[in-house]
Amino acid sequence: MPVLNNSQSIALQLEKVRPKVPVLFERDDVLLSLIQKRSDAEKTSSRNMRVPLQVRPGGKASQHTMDGDDLGLGSGSVYDVAQLSPVFETFGVQITKLVEYATTGNERAVENATKREVASGMKQFRTYLDTLLQTNGNGVLGSIASFATTTWTLTSPQGSALFYYNQDVQVYDSTLTTNRGAATITSVDPLNKQITVNANPGGLTAGDVLVPSGLSGAQPVSLFGVKYHHVDSTVGTWMGLTRATYPEALKTPHFAAGNAALVPANVRLAVNKLRKVLGVDVLSREKLIAYMAPEQEHAWEQLGVTISEIVRNQVPADSGMPDLLFNQNVERRMAGVPIKTSIHADTTRIDFLALKRWGRAVMKEIDYYEVGGQTVFPVYGASGGLASAYLFYFTTGFQVFMDGPRYGAFIDGLAVPAGY
Amino acid sequence: MPCPYEPTSPGLPRSMPKRANRGAGSRKRPGSFDLPLDSNMIQVIREAKQTPPDVADRLARAGGVNLYGQPNYRAVWGWSRLGWIGGKWTDRDARGDVIREVVEVRRVPKYEPFDRWHIEKWIPPEMYGRPARWRELTAELEGVQLCEALGPYPSEGEYEHCVTLEAAGEFVPLDAASVETIVRMIEFSRLIPRSASLAAIRQREDKAGTDYENWAYDVLDDGMPAMHGLPFIVRP
Repeated sequence: MPVLNNSQSIALQLEKVRPKVPVLFERDDVLLSLIQKRSDAEKTSSRNMRVPLQVRPGGKASQHTMDGDDLGLGSGSVYDVAQLSPVFETFGVQITKLVEYATTGNERAVENATKREVASGMKQFRTYLDTLLQTNGNGVLGSIASFATTTWTLTSPQGSALFYYNQDVQVYDSTLTTNRGAATITSVDPLNKQITVNANPGGLTAGDVLVPSGLSGAQPVSLFGVKYHHVDSTVGTWMGLTRATYPEALKTPHFAAGNAALVPANVRLAVNKLRKVLGVDVLSREKLIAYMAPEQEHAWEQLGVTISEIVRNQVPADSGMPDLLFNQNVERRMAGVPIKTSIHADTTRIDFLALKRWGRAVMKEIDYYEVGGQTVFPVYGASGGLASAYLFYFTTGFQVFMDGPRYGAFIDGLAVPAGY
Repeated sequence: MPCPYEPTSPGLPRSMPKRANRGAGSRKRPGSFDLPLDSNMIQVIREAKQTPPDVADRLARAGGVNLYGQPNYRAVWGWSRLGWIGGKWTDRDARGDVIREVVEVRRVPKYEPFDRWHIEKWIPPEMYGRPARWRELTAELEGVQLCEALGPYPSEGEYEHCVTLEAAGEFVPLDAASVETIVRMIEFSRLIPRSASLAAIRQREDKAGTDYENWAYDVLDDGMPAMHGLPFIVRP
């Protein structure tokens, strides 16, 4: 009987950690996982998921003498249905046999190598999905301001913040009509807002935009991100509904800072817009958070109304000092709203997300890609023979929705503090 | 019918110090409940609390006073601290259905959670710009009605939220030593160079990535056999 060697046990090892994959995916430290799967979001089929909305209130109020006067007619609420369908996102992890051999001294090393790839792969996959959630639903992760050979400078405010090393991207023209081709990112410089790629696609032009690999065709659709749902406009569509049909109901309250620095009044104006729509207890009832980039958190610190991060770090919770600050767990808040910071968030915006109004329509939960029980696949060489490597994939199919664009607020056009 | 969040007595919250602390409400015991003042009006009873004098004193000593002689920091109870909000309000029933929309200015609790103590700091009027600019920024046109979304211009400055006293989402009682520490930390924070403050935020975000990886390794370890499947020998 042949001995079970390491390569044959790889699939077995992945199966061991398989139940842990959703746990790794759902940790609520990125926007993606803060958006809970809602109880009313059933698992969807390939048909559109329908989100019924009471767009306008009904009934007619009037005053009467009741001395035989006409009471008039009534009316009913206006309902409509928003629709969405999931998109599939996949993340492939490839390990060469050399890596495996190099870590094979005993069974433990092989297990650790697999574990390492699962953990780091999942981290990167979550990061990728989180970057898509910063977009306006068309998958545009960045646009080219200028380029010199294969070094592309991307436009502010996002710059290159939404890209990672070795990511494959698809280059489109600025109207998302012409697909110019693919490129692989060979380095990312977020401070200078630059990326370097392996080779420029033909016809590259300043103003071109970058979308994730795999998107094709004109006007591609990807995950509906914050900038898809939080839009203060009466034109265009939102989840299949024409904004012009319900101009007051399908736009998000917002405050335009006009490239001015953040001040408390900005925040109160934005939050109050939301409180007027959702009730004054919106924070606790709707799980409201202020979602922003570190730049704006820093701007808030500069106003001198909060405890600086550096001071929080001064006294560790287990230092033995009197617990005057409740184990240092004084929550970071902005005008009373809990702060959630993300390096992927737009540096010029603060979005107030009513998390209870957001949800995910899931067609396929996160898991390994599986064919007939097999989750690890061989790689083939150019000759048609086997390559000395193997592959596994994380895959999930979902879309992000919210009850209505009115259930949020945002500040845009904020100045970024100097030094970024 | 007055709005459900209309204050039970007009004027500034009872926790406002000195000049603001006038009227019968200021003589209530801490933790007492407001009672209807006028039997002809529907009054909503809400829990009102007053800042204990020893806490107010400690805050004043730690944070100093402003040019109006008011303390730079104060502690306010969520239900008692009201603020102006003007504009179109959407009122809903218990099911969440819209029952009416109305344009008006309301005084509502400024901070949430309502049943917590909040530390506020006085912000000078210049932080809010000139009155004309304030009106320009805060005026909201709802149909044909113009509303001041944040109420009148804060000509004597305004108190803004710093910290909510709670731990892990739970109530934390107001304690003079704690709030003094918080105030001193905020004041100390103002002395920190911008670059250091920025670096600390970046460091925290970087650490979040490392924390995730470490946590993920631990989670995956749980899925492994004991001792990572290594054979082990028991010495006889």
